[in-house]
Amino acid sequence: MKTQLMTAIQTSISEVMETMFFLPVEFGPEIPIAESGMDAKKLVCELAFKGDFSGNLILMAPETLVVEMAENFMGESLENLTPEHLDGTLTEMLNMVCGNALRKIEAKTPFELGIPKKIGSTLFETHVFTIVETTDSKMAILLTLDE
Amino acid sequence: MSYSILIVDDSLPMRSVIKKTLKAAGYGNSELLEAANGEEALALMKKSWIDIVLTDYNMPVMNGLEFIKVLKADDLSKEIPVVVISTEGDASKIREFMDCGAAGYITKPFTAEAIRDLIVTILGEVDYEDAVDDSDTDFDF
Repeated sequence: MKTQLMTAIQTSISEVMETMFFLPVEFGPEIPIAESGMDAKKLVCELAFKGDFSGNLILMAPETLVVEMAENFMGESLENLTPEHLDGTLTEMLNMVCGNALRKIEAKTPFELGIPKKIGSTLFETHVFTIVETTDSKMAILLTLDE
Repeated sequence: MSYSILIVDDSLPMRSVIKKTLKAAGYGNSELLEAANGEEALALMKKSWIDIVLTDYNMPVMNGLEFIKVLKADDLSKEIPVVVISTEGDASKIREFMDCGAAGYITKPFTAEAIRDLIVTILGEVDYEDAVDDSDTDFDF
């Protein structure tokens, strides 16, 4: 099931990034985040979901990429963007990706999404993430399913 | 024709995107009000006349479904059309919204055309001159 959901998540990331953020993406390797080369300040958010199976999706992106996404998403320039805009852009991206991906999964009961929330980036240095590459930057995603 | 349109979403960027979409769709002369959840929206609706509500589902404090139920239970607000804009697009969830009185449903990610077409269906066509001439407004997503 994790493989099926991960495939749906990757499809959804492509759809959401191109439709709402005008950024085409390609998928890179699964590697520990410490080896990803994402050394700049990172923003991280997570979203829990429950249904036929439950879990969490975590999205990590350098602040520079989130600024580019926010500019594209809202049509605003950098000087008009606040930290709330940046956090909100990343959490909304995660919300759309997760909701879109779960719609692609056949389920007996509808999935329920939690509220996406910002979390600390230092918690995940040893975790293995899937790298998502944009033209000039990269982000990373981690899917965990409850036992 | 201008309207009073209430956008209910806990995401500040999403409210901003929906506002820009509405302006580009010809509702630039309309009053565009915002609330971050159902409770805020209900408080605002006690003070302002609203022609249509666009609401998210998944919000803290009071979610979109709870909000619609309260709205539709009140004689003063039950006729106000409510459109749900949400990531959750499961057929049974959409049916639940419609059974509670929602006038329409749009899934995120959405296209500007989807929002415009549904609002036009509910409120009627707007004069093209009402559209905001804003070169920064990207209407092509």
